[in-house]
Amino acid sequence: MSIARSPLSDSDSPDRRQFFTSAASGLGGAALSWLLLHEGVLAHDGAASGNPLAPRQPHFPAKAKACIFILPEGAPSHLDLFDPKPKLRELHGQPLPESMVKNVRFAFIKKETAVIAGSAREFTQHGQCGMELSDYLPHLGRCADDLCLVRSMHTDAFNHHPAQLMLNSGVPRFGRPSMGAWLNYGLGSESDNLPGYVVLSAGRGGSGGVSNWTSGFLPSSYEGVVFRSQGEPVLNLANPPGLSRNMQQQGLETLTALNRRRHEQLHDPEIASRIASYELAFRMQAAAPELVDLSQETAATLDAYGVTRPEPNHKGFRGGGPNVYKQFATNCLLARRLVERGVRFVTLIHASWDHHSNIDAELKYNCDMADQPLAALIQDLKRRGLLDTTLVIFAGEFGRTPLAENRPGREKAPMGRDHHPYAFSILMAGGGMKGGFTYGKTDELGWSVVENPVHMNDFHATVLHQFGLDHLRLTHNFKGLKVRLTDQGGRVVQDLLS
Amino acid sequence: MRHPPRWPWSLVLVFAGATLSADGEEPPAAHGDSLPPAAQRTVDFVADIQPLLRTSCYSCHGPEAHEGGLRLDAKKRALEGGDTGAAIVPGKSDESRLIHLIAGQDEDLGLMPPEGEGTPLSAEQIGLLRAWIDQGAVWPESAEASPAQVDHWSFQPIARPHLPSVQDASWAANPIDVFVLARLEQAQLAPSPPAERETLLRRVYLDLLGVPPEPHAAAAFLADERPDAYEQLVDRLLASPHYGERWGRRWLDLARYADSDGYEKDLARPHAWRYREWVIGAINADLPFDQFTLKQIAGDLLPNATLDDRIATGFHRNTLHNTEGGIDPEEDRVKKTVDRANTVATIWLGLTMGCAQCHSHKYDPITQREYFGLYAFFNNLDEANPEVPGEKDAKAQAVAERDTPRETHIHVRGDFLSPGDVVSAGTPSVLPPLTMEHASPNRLDLARWIASPENPLTARVAANRVWQALWGQGLVRTSDDFGLQGEAPSHPELLDWLACELRDGGWSEKRLVRAIVTSQTYRQSSALRTELEALDPENVLLARQNRLRVESEIIRDLALAASGLWDSRVGGPSVRPPQPAEHATLTYAGSAKWAVSQGGDAYRRGLYTFFQRTSPYPMFMTFDAPDSNECCVRREQSNTPLQSLTLWNDGAFFECAQNLARRVVGESPQGETAEETYQRRLEYAFRLCLARTPDAVERDAVEKLFRSQVEICRRDPQAAQAILGSSPTQSSTQPEELAGWVIVARTLMNLDEFITRE
Repeated sequence: MSIARSPLSDSDSPDRRQFFTSAASGLGGAALSWLLLHEGVLAHDGAASGNPLAPRQPHFPAKAKACIFILPEGAPSHLDLFDPKPKLRELHGQPLPESMVKNVRFAFIKKETAVIAGSAREFTQHGQCGMELSDYLPHLGRCADDLCLVRSMHTDAFNHHPAQLMLNSGVPRFGRPSMGAWLNYGLGSESDNLPGYVVLSAGRGGSGGVSNWTSGFLPSSYEGVVFRSQGEPVLNLANPPGLSRNMQQQGLETLTALNRRRHEQLHDPEIASRIASYELAFRMQAAAPELVDLSQETAATLDAYGVTRPEPNHKGFRGGGPNVYKQFATNCLLARRLVERGVRFVTLIHASWDHHSNIDAELKYNCDMADQPLAALIQDLKRRGLLDTTLVIFAGEFGRTPLAENRPGREKAPMGRDHHPYAFSILMAGGGMKGGFTYGKTDELGWSVVENPVHMNDFHATVLHQFGLDHLRLTHNFKGLKVRLTDQGGRVVQDLLS
Repeated sequence: MRHPPRWPWSLVLVFAGATLSADGEEPPAAHGDSLPPAAQRTVDFVADIQPLLRTSCYSCHGPEAHEGGLRLDAKKRALEGGDTGAAIVPGKSDESRLIHLIAGQDEDLGLMPPEGEGTPLSAEQIGLLRAWIDQGAVWPESAEASPAQVDHWSFQPIARPHLPSVQDASWAANPIDVFVLARLEQAQLAPSPPAERETLLRRVYLDLLGVPPEPHAAAAFLADERPDAYEQLVDRLLASPHYGERWGRRWLDLARYADSDGYEKDLARPHAWRYREWVIGAINADLPFDQFTLKQIAGDLLPNATLDDRIATGFHRNTLHNTEGGIDPEEDRVKKTVDRANTVATIWLGLTMGCAQCHSHKYDPITQREYFGLYAFFNNLDEANPEVPGEKDAKAQAVAERDTPRETHIHVRGDFLSPGDVVSAGTPSVLPPLTMEHASPNRLDLARWIASPENPLTARVAANRVWQALWGQGLVRTSDDFGLQGEAPSHPELLDWLACELRDGGWSEKRLVRAIVTSQTYRQSSALRTELEALDPENVLLARQNRLRVESEIIRDLALAASGLWDSRVGGPSVRPPQPAEHATLTYAGSAKWAVSQGGDAYRRGLYTFFQRTSPYPMFMTFDAPDSNECCVRREQSNTPLQSLTLWNDGAFFECAQNLARRVVGESPQGETAEETYQRRLEYAFRLCLARTPDAVERDAVEKLFRSQVEICRRDPQAAQAILGSSPTQSSTQPEELAGWVIVARTLMNLDEFITRE
């Protein structure tokens, strides 16, 4: 029975029934409970209110309870935001130094004429820690003492979609569960009334679609649930006319009983997931309208997040589109509200940061969109005492080249940068990460990591660790193998932990 | 476990577009003086050279990968060079870039092989390679390595396989079963028992028509005791006009069909539906798949092309189309042309040709030059909108070949503003040669090449998709990639047998479908078997059927059909059924005006719903419909609370519940007693929704609900009225009782079983 099989039981596997019996309240939720009921393990205890997302204990005490994962799809430039390289300015317009030219290849850049591109950004020190950040991120600068900046990330995949799969699922391949699915599988969700994993996007969605929040081979109850980015976030929350909540509930009970009957005959775990989906949908009917109703937020809060900012008119930009600023700001506020209500994992997607050209103007557009709401989110979480237990992550799939793109025929186009998986930066805050902390170093061109490298899978291991999960023990049996988020390796980066 | 830090040499491994020569324009500078001297003896390729290449070069320039488009394991490709020029100049080792590279004297790339990649070459070994080149780079045909790429299974000719021997031949109804059983016996597994007759009936209705059996048809089948009752049923379904709707929608996924342009303006395409109409008609007529192919790819070029043939080329008009201000029309045209080439390669060849747009394919034997060879076939068409005679202002979307051909250049690194060499239309050399009628082949030649019996991919890819439609997964699970990165078929011989059935059976898809659905393999129960969970969790061995949640449009169709609201007219322009009120006009500048269709048009099958690319019908997207922006070979199958909310509360589905209740009450015969009437109604509701009767447990559960809801409505007549809506009620039935049936109907239509093909 793959539904709600305890990921934690794999390693310490006591007798299955004994384990289930002793842990029933915290383990499986309704679907599991009734399976056990039919196996004669549990006396009927009315456990039908549970769900596969019921909270479970971690391997060891957790620092973080929730994660807000901001995915700037397309890969933002570390050199223009997080990792100042004065040397690039010095060498601006010059070819790469001989020592580097020798062994490097490119996808889009023509090496013969490639030249170094200094960043036009000014970096200044922020906070007591003196973290250096770009002038495109003034609001985040004011949160510097809460930020944990890793400048030594590197990843294995070079193109967007594989690299996004790498970022979300640990391997650059389809069919694997995303990090949010793994966390919900391992820990369940603290929210009874909302999905444990919610996805919000601003602007045009990312190219990877559902593969970026899939449950892979885990039961589909752990998959990210996409709220709509325009109009009402969730449709069809109201009962049809004439149906009271009581009637709805009676209908749900019958529906569940009939679905269970079918499950007894066919044993398909998708039926159990369907049952759980209906139970959650019923609870969402009550919870979701309250979630998305921002009328109780103060004007100061709305202003702080920038929900009401004027919308710049740059539809032609990669990250542009109607009402993107408002959407992103609203999504940040909704993320806080989701976390407040116990949701385990929230993904915020914005596309695109793939600045092959015109990086100065388009990166500014994106940063103007993201900087203020993100800073407001961090400050808001902190003020509400939620930052300690909420891990906020801002991470793209890779970085961008110190060289300017020089596609032939486009030499006159405003400067852009190519894909760069060998060194890039990510930003984190809260969730037990060190605040005011800058970690790792790249060389003077921002090309390679020269100190404290953090591989993408190290990042995954570290995130799981903050949630009290040993990445080597969070496994799922699939095709006879114990599969992990960090199958390809990974170690907890202790230096980052507060 | 992975781990030592991976820079900087890892840089070298990943880059896709390695270029071996500077540009191909200037010969590399001679560095003869500083190179290790050439060996002074006669070298033998097989004894001296090939082993060096194998240990030092193949890992990046061999069968598995060909960085920079260079392969050194195959004679022709090695001597041709990489993406941008020759690596070996026979007779002139000092001008051969290969030598400069292995000697570490190349200005751009430094030393080959990169550290960690292959065995570095000594001065002596470089001397041998120099001597080999200086002596003419002799590469005997007998030493032609047989590269994995050329050996790749899907590029081999299709031959009808022999049936394997099996122990229990009595189980097999046709050769499909023999192939499947042979694998099962190998794994010491027994097939599952046949599905219940009711389950099989609903299964084959959903698979072939996408609507449930009407109770009278179900009763007739269940009462039919002839030994070939099932086969006769299958034949009736194959002849139904709704078959073309069901299988046509599958084709529309591939053809990225939509009713609007996409992008910001997303203007409506009022004539797009004529292509859909053509697809439905062609599938209903079982137009042979080779003809089906020719007409869509090049119907306009057929001798004496009819209007219908030209409408078929509307296939090429389903691309996105950007009418935004300030865009470069040529850029948009190039994007469409790229999409046309990629879509054709995906649908018919199962190849990810698009990967070769910017640089030679990293895994498959497709060079960038060959990509643009395919592109060239589509570079010479113009969009055309022929008039449809007899109807006022009626047009169709089609394409037409230009009189003056456009010249096709390689787009250097995929950039259309960087024209490289001129390329003429051609097909990948790993596949059988293109035979053409004229000096420069055109789209029709391409279509004939694709649909020729010699093409090893077309029949396999198409047969695999048919299998996928009936099992949820193909024998090749990567149904969009038959290249080296794709998965190998689970049952290679079965796949080839199916491909032969299709190709040698007059390219009749219905014939192939019939063979599959009449197999014992197809007719197995879909119940999970615990002993299979560990052995075969993904049911690769086919020891049971799969339970499949049906596609979004079919969910709508099931609800409409069960409720009796379905307007079963086939074909016609797209319609706009009611949408949730919260789904306001979301498109830019209000381009999507959703004037709700009236009358029967509000109750047409899902495939007729107007597909507005930037604000698609929300129920479809909730149930994983493709966005239609590009070719979709396989839909996702998610299972979310948003789906529950849709079936539970969406007005369209509640209206179906209301009507189903009326139908149940109005159409089931009165019994002697109220109890008997109730039981008859309950059974009828189950038959309409699930094509079966309830068991005792189900009866109890439903009855409890029905009684409680009737009681609530008796006490609250206003609620009963609201639940019944505005339509008139049967005078013989109390409103609260009818309202109770609405609730029951709604419950049945929300069952997992209702939206699942079991």
